[in-house]
Parts: sequence; C-alpha cells; structure tokens
Amino acid sequence: MPEKTVSAQFEVYRFDPAHDSAPRYDRYTLDLAPHTPVLSALLRIRAEIDPSLTLRYSCRSAICGSCAMQVNSKSRLACETQIGPELERNGRIVVEPMRNQAVLRDLVVDQEPFWRHYDQIQPHLILDPRHPMPEGKENPMTPEEVDRFKETPRCIACAACFSACPAVEADPGFPGPMALAKLYRFVVDPRDTAHQDRLLAIQPGGLWTCLRCHLCTEACPKDVRPSERIRDLKEMAIAAQGATEPGSRHAVGFKENIRERGLLSEAKLVRQTSGISGMVGQLGQGVRIYRKKPEILKAPHKIEGLDEVQKIYDALDHTEDDAS
Amino acid sequence: MVGAGLAGQRAALAAIQAGRDVAVVSKLHPLRSHSGAAQGGINAALGKEDSVDTHIYDTVKGSDYLGDQDAIEFFCREAGPTVVEMEHFGTIFSRGPDGSLARRAFGGAGFPRTIYAADRTGLALLQGLWERLGTERFTLYEEWDLTDLVVREGRVQGIVAFDRKHGDFEEIATSSVVLATGPFGRVYGRTTNAHSCTGDGVAAAYDVGAFLKDMEFVQFHPTLLLESGILITEGARGEGGILKNALGERFMSRYAPHVLELASRDVVSRAIVTEVAEGRGFPGPYGGYVHLELMHLGREKVESRLQEIVDYSRNFAGIDPVTEPIPVYPGQHYMMGGIGTNIRGETNIPGLFAAGEAACVSIHGANRLGGNSLLETLVFGKEAGIAAAAHAKTAARTEMTSADLDAAVAPLRAWSSRKDGEDPSTLRTEMQQTMEKYVGIYRTEADLLEGVKRIRAVKARFDRVQVVDQSKVYNLNLTDALETGHMLELAEAIVVGAYARTESRGAHSRADYPKRDDAHWMKHTMAAKSPAGPILSYTPVTYTRWEPKERVY
Repeated sequence: MPEKTVSAQFEVYRFDPAHDSAPRYDRYTLDLAPHTPVLSALLRIRAEIDPSLTLRYSCRSAICGSCAMQVNSKSRLACETQIGPELERNGRIVVEPMRNQAVLRDLVVDQEPFWRHYDQIQPHLILDPRHPMPEGKENPMTPEEVDRFKETPRCIACAACFSACPAVEADPGFPGPMALAKLYRFVVDPRDTAHQDRLLAIQPGGLWTCLRCHLCTEACPKDVRPSERIRDLKEMAIAAQGATEPGSRHAVGFKENIRERGLLSEAKLVRQTSGISGMVGQLGQGVRIYRKKPEILKAPHKIEGLDEVQKIYDALDHTEDDAS
Repeated sequence: MVGAGLAGQRAALAAIQAGRDVAVVSKLHPLRSHSGAAQGGINAALGKEDSVDTHIYDTVKGSDYLGDQDAIEFFCREAGPTVVEMEHFGTIFSRGPDGSLARRAFGGAGFPRTIYAADRTGLALLQGLWERLGTERFTLYEEWDLTDLVVREGRVQGIVAFDRKHGDFEEIATSSVVLATGPFGRVYGRTTNAHSCTGDGVAAAYDVGAFLKDMEFVQFHPTLLLESGILITEGARGEGGILKNALGERFMSRYAPHVLELASRDVVSRAIVTEVAEGRGFPGPYGGYVHLELMHLGREKVESRLQEIVDYSRNFAGIDPVTEPIPVYPGQHYMMGGIGTNIRGETNIPGLFAAGEAACVSIHGANRLGGNSLLETLVFGKEAGIAAAAHAKTAARTEMTSADLDAAVAPLRAWSSRKDGEDPSTLRTEMQQTMEKYVGIYRTEADLLEGVKRIRAVKARFDRVQVVDQSKVYNLNLTDALETGHMLELAEAIVVGAYARTESRGAHSRADYPKRDDAHWMKHTMAAKSPAGPILSYTPVTYTRWEPKERVY
C-alpha cells in the first residue's frame, strides 16, 4: 500500500564562488511522504535533478554532525528534520547554509573558526604528573560523577548552536556555545586537574559575552543545553575567583542589589559592574537617562515584604551549600 | 594514515609516539567518522567471573571457526589494557554503582563483557581519542578523497588524493601508508552504514595488488529501523528487548531456544527473514517486518540506557519505544572481509598497512560478535601504526614524480570532459539493488550468477561515467563517481567470492549448501584484481587451541 505523499516546495540556497557573483535560490518541487527527512529530499534532488547541489552529509542518523543547515531559518540537522511539520509551519521549505560561517559553496560552510574555538579551550584532559592514573586500571567514577557531565557527552559538534548564536555574530572572539559546553565537560571531569586554571582563563576569555538568549539550547539536536552549561560555568567561575569581569560583577551586583532593597538600584549597579572609572565612561548615557528619569539617582525604597525576599535568598544559599 | 576514524587515529597516535612525521588524510572531519555511529559497546573480559579465554572462545565460535586463532588470542588479551587506556585518554564510560566500568550483555557472549557509554559508545571513544590525539603534532588533510596509491618497485611510494575544498589533486610521498578507511556497506541499499562508507582505501589497495580477504562474509544486523535503515543497537536486546512476529510469538525460541534474542547476529537475522518469508511478519509499504519490544522494560530504563534509540525511533519513524514496538528488519551492517593483513597490519605489499573495518586480520571470521569491532579498531590500529612507523624508519627514499600524479588523474579528468555518459548515482543505485536482491542474507547459485552478470554490466557502463558538475570547489559529483567506481570493484569481489564458496558458514548462508563444510572450506578466500575480474585463491585458517564444533546458541 503506497503511503500518502505531499507536494513539497523547496527553495535551496545556491552559491558557487568560482562561477556566481551572487547567491540565488533554486526551486524544486517533489512528491514526498510527510515524514521524509529534509536530507533525503536534498539527496533526491542531487540524484535525480541536479548533481551539482553541494552539501555535507554522512551518517543520516543524527550522529556525525555533518548536515547542520538552516531549514526555514532554524539551524537544524537536515537528516532528522521531517518535511511534514516544516510545510505546516511555513508552507514551503527554505534551505540555507548555517550562519556565522562563510559559505564555501551552496550549503557547505567554512568550519575553521568553529574548530579553532573548540581547540582553544584545550579539549583534552590536563593531568598533573604528581597524580598519575591508576596503573592498569580505570579511574573510579561514580554514576553521580558521570551525571555531572549532564548531556555534554552527547555533543556531535554539528555547529547548529554556533550558527544560532547572536553573540558569535556580534563578537567573533566569543568561543560559542559548543566550545563552552565542551569546556564545562572538562571542568566537571574528576580526572582533569586544571579545573581552577580553566575557570580563571575563561572568565575574561569570553564567558560573559553570552547573552543568555538560549537560542543554542533551542538549536541543539542532542539536548546538550549549552546555555545551561554556560550558566553553570559562570557560577563556577565566580565561586573560583570572585567576580572579576564586568559581566560577573553585573550578575553579583544585581543579586546583592535585590537582596538589600527588593528593587534594583540602577546607578549602583553601573558602579558595581564598571567601577568608578567605568562610570565616567558611561556618563553621557547616564545624563540622557537622568533627563528622562531623574529618580535614577535615588536609591530605591525598600519594598514591603522585603523579609520574604530575603527568605528566598537564604533558602537558595542553603540549597547551594547542599549542592556543593 | 588514510581515514581518521578510531583505527586511523589510533594508528596515527602510535606512529607519532614512535617518533615519525604523520599526515592524516580523511574525507570527513575526524569527529564525523563513522566510528562515532557505533552504539552498543566494546568487549573486554574485565568482570571477576569472566576470563580472556572465554572471550577468545566466544569470538572463535562466533566466527564459525573461520577466525585466525592466533590473532583472536592476541586481540582478546589486548582488550582490557585497550579499554583502560581509552578511559585514561578521557573517554566517558557508563559506570556501575562501585565506580567501575559498567558492562552489559551482548549476543554470542558467555558473560556480560560489553563496556559501554550509554548507547553511543563509538562517539564516546571517538571524542576521547581525538581529544588525546589533539595534544600531539601531525598534519590533518581534512575532506580529501583518496584516489590512488602509488606502488613502484614492489613498494609504496605515496598516495594521490583530491582536496575537495580547493578542487586540486595532490600527491603525498611516503614510504608507509595505513589504510583505515572503514567499511563499504554502501554497496548495499539497506544498510546501517553512513553514506561515506564506500571502501575507498580497500579499492585502492586492491587496485595495486593487495589481496582482499573473505569478502563474501557480509554481516546483516537483525534490527534496522524500517525504511531509513538506521541501526537499533544490539544493546536494546542486551537490556532485555524481545522480538515478536505478527502472531505475537516470541519466535526466537524456535531458532535459539537457550539464548533467544541474544543469539549471534547471523542467527537472529536469518530467523527474522524466515519469519517474514513464511508469512508471519507484519506487512507494510517498505516490505515485511517484525517488532522489537522494549515497553516492558519501563520508561526509566529505556530513556536512560537507550537514549539515542528513543530519539531515532521518535524522529525517524514517529514511534515511541516506551509505549510502542519498533518495526525492524535486517540489513547490511558490517564487512568481515577487507584488505588481508597479519596481526601487525601488514599487507602483501611492503609499506602498505591496513586496520579497522577496512582490514581483515581475520578475527571475525565468518561472523563478527557485537562489541568486537570497536575493540578491533583500537587494538589493530595501534599495531598498524607501530608497524608503519618501523617500516618508515628503515625504508628507502620514496620517489613520487609528477608523472605519478598525471597517471592517477588523467582518467578522472576524462570523466569531467565527456559530453555525455553514465550518471554515477544511477550506477550506484543499480549496484545497490543488485546486491540487495542477489547477494543478500540467503544466497543461491542461480542468484549469485545473476548477481555477477549484473554487477559486471554496471561496471562496464562505469567506463563511460560522466561528471557534469564543472566547478572546482567541493565537486561532490566527482566524489560520487570516485566512490561508485571503488564500490563496483568491491561488489564484484563479494559476489564472486560468495559464488565460489559452496557451503554455509557464519553470515554466508547458501540456501543450496545449507551445511558448513569443514573438509573443503575451512580456508580464507583471497581475491586478487585482474582485468577479467577477481582471481580467487585460498589460504588456511590458523588454529591454536579450539577444534571446530557445531555452532549452536
């Protein structure tokens, strides 16, 4: 019994720098079953219509990380994105290369910057020769210690997170979600002896560039949740050396501010984040805000029920103690 | 090193540690290698109740007595140290409550000895090894296709490869080459193998006179997700998953009454094919199938230990294995055959080495046990790296010339300059359909003869293959043609070997010769390339302590 098919419209980004002066979108219409993966459709286009359509692909089972691309503007693995829901959502299927990486041809992007950031976090166990590994035996690791990796071992380095990340777009020096999730994986590894050094290096090394928009977590096909691991790294970095960067001072200042009065003192937060000299730099902006909102300079009043807020803080501090 | 999966990376590490200058050539970024798709685990007899001897015996029996016992003994002795080394390199394995490496049961094994990392053991090992290798100095040529080996004066002089990104053919002069290019499962249509598993290194070795060994032994995994052919790990049965036919019978009781679903893979695959052929399968648009049930294991166990399987079922078949059965059918999974090597990874050509699934040592013989292939990549990758490094140290200077490059490249340029010709994708599909139909799980003389005829017809058409894409950058159309040409040679070696072997042993099941025939066939097939097709010869199997017995599970 043949399965019901739908007529699927594809618009595929095409660009060959050797021949084309500008990219174009080629249209293809295929009759396909709704659960057909986008990758299968693209391979059919290659086999039956245009063998020059260029993309990376290999395993077709979401484990090699080759076929990340944008499907209807979302960074996805083409192999596990079914056409049915995409057609329902968008009426057609627009396939484009990943963002934040230069296009080499069609859907193939230059991943050199992505891998360079990965290399730069020192993605290997750093060992202390004074503590050799057990001879002829594995290092013991409890199931609880394995759980601390969270889902980071599932990362297939597909770069969907790197493509989705606005901080990568704004600051090419930002390591990106994958590299930071990988860093987390080493910082919680009981075999690694450089946890402290890794955390000291990353606080000024881009950790606070993360915008906490969680687009990486939304894009990740393996549920690695990079944004949550970046949050964990931020907490661990502050615990390791205190708040040394504007980003971490902002976070700590925010927390202290609310604990004191239940409301944010914005002027105080600027001082906490940037210091007195930093405040001088932001003076122009401060004056503009003051004109519109003169109360900015006044410390906010303490809110009613502040003791309840403080109870929440105490409870949270208590849980953190338990966790550590 | 050509190929950068587990075997190629381990060979590279060994050769670097031996002080040699190493280049790694791979058509994929190393972390995208097909080794990463291995799910279930890696065998090592680390349990107190288990022993290396039992692992050896299980492997010998699993091989249906075609494995070389000296190689198997070496292999199983290296298992423990190899797994421990990978743990020290940083691999994140699953753990037992006492903090030791967790183990699960696998088919054909006397004890639970399969060490694992959830159901993504290959990925965990690939990450661990790549991270370790990353601390060493070597040159990586990423996304380069191997086109030719250059052998002159009876020894290796170097390789020719195609740099996809820049569209240039390049030569690399070297006295030692390790081929670790993995399998060639894409000669079949229904396969768990990645699209990139096209046997480029195996075909290149065959082309310069290396023997291909035991090519007719093709493992069909019992449980591929219907339609997509995605692998559902044997670990799913190891964790307690059961197989049922359309009558609701747990049919394995008829084929392997003692171990049921945990019989060896060839046994379970044949059982499923028989059930469907005899009308007890479920019908469907993609052919008959059976059910793999995990529901009785409970949500917690299924979701924690078989996480990827849950995702595959949901994303590729719209099935939730926590509440529904998974539709499965057997398909090509593993090539026992490959480039013939000894324990040190040496081929019959000085300077040419092979390891991993591209090679045939042989430890798997007529049928590989689950959990032994990841181990093979690491054990024999290391050996091949050591041997290649030793050879490079003493070998005479290589002599690659521009004439070598021109000779290798000239036919490929002709593909692109043709005004009309055969489309590589069409030829590939016809080859896959032929292998599926005539060289499948059950084989007969008539089918195999038809298979030889059809593969040769496709091969003849390949002489007129055309590459229409004229771009220099990432010309995948050229890669298509290269790979198809490679696979056609290997498909022919498989079918000719299968036709000649008039017995049933392990994964090679001749419906017309249903019994194992030790008197005539306890020997390895060796295929040598000739213009008229493979020329077969045979070499004896090495025995140490285990006499052949009937294989019952």
